[in-house]
Amino acid sequence: MNGYIEILLRSVSFILFLFLITKLVGKKQISQLTFFEYVSGITIGSIAGEVVTGLEKNYLQGTLAVLIFGLVTFLSDYFSLKSKKFRDIMEDSGTVIIKDGKLLEENLKKEKYTIDNVLSLLREKNVFKLADVEFAVLEPQGKLSVLLKKENRPLTPKDLQMKMPSEKEPYTIIMDGKILDDALRWSGKSRGWLYTELEKMNATLDNVFLGQVDSYGELTLDLYDDKIQVPQPQQRPLLLASLKKTQADLEIFSLSTECEKTKAMYKKNAEVLQEQIDKLTPYLNG
Amino acid sequence: MTVASNVKQCLVTITGIESQLSTLALNSLDREAQAVFHEAAMKIETVKKDLQYRVLELERQEPQYKGS
Repeated sequence: MNGYIEILLRSVSFILFLFLITKLVGKKQISQLTFFEYVSGITIGSIAGEVVTGLEKNYLQGTLAVLIFGLVTFLSDYFSLKSKKFRDIMEDSGTVIIKDGKLLEENLKKEKYTIDNVLSLLREKNVFKLADVEFAVLEPQGKLSVLLKKENRPLTPKDLQMKMPSEKEPYTIIMDGKILDDALRWSGKSRGWLYTELEKMNATLDNVFLGQVDSYGELTLDLYDDKIQVPQPQQRPLLLASLKKTQADLEIFSLSTECEKTKAMYKKNAEVLQEQIDKLTPYLNG
Repeated sequence: MTVASNVKQCLVTITGIESQLSTLALNSLDREAQAVFHEAAMKIETVKKDLQYRVLELERQEPQYKGS
């Protein structure tokens, strides 16, 4: 019975201890392991397992070992940040595998990758034809980064010479029916504004599961009660439509009036409006 | 619909557009968008002034439509 209690105590205390160690080593452990970090992570895990279950062994010795592994990993991270030379030793840089659309066999051999490995990595990137690739690097984490040839890259607004308005990130300001005051402040809005918007949309705060405000100050809501239809923000498309309508109206006035001076006035203003419509369209489209 | 009432309706729409553009200029977070909306609101205001003048003119020429 004593053994069980000891395992219980050891487990709980080691979980806390490992938690501290992982905090020390940082997030990097999960996302981008260098080979060294990978090995030290596994070692820490198995030492911890040994210590928790191996009752005949000394508890503190295991703790010391874990602590040393954690510290060395932490220090290697720290020195990697400080010195480029150290970084080069600890984590090797990427290897170029494809250049100018040609495979570099030497580098492949050096990294011990077969052609099948490379093809499968390329397929993961949705590339099935080697000829489509301009340049590819094998990253230290074993991932392949691919630069496609210009004509095979996805089409962007820049390729079409379209001017796109820059957009800021949306802020989540309501979650589970509660206002997130920090996000509300970052978005430059006040509670008063929020209550007005909610009233406009006929929603109560308790019923809102998620509320986001975009860079135009438009509020999008998701309600708990999915049967209630929330009006989607439509202010900008409507505004564009009424701009176009007014522009057409002015054209009609200029055609139907007989007074030359007034005709010219209407025409001029119709042109002003058309100019503004052209300028605003990227901002007002949906 | 008389000419005067058509022009008046148009004037009201323009006023609405101007105020909506001003609201957007205030509510937008992006500096560039703010500037574009603000500038557009100012341009629209000149159009509004011309139309207001035209409405007054129409009312003077055809007083029977005044206020309609």
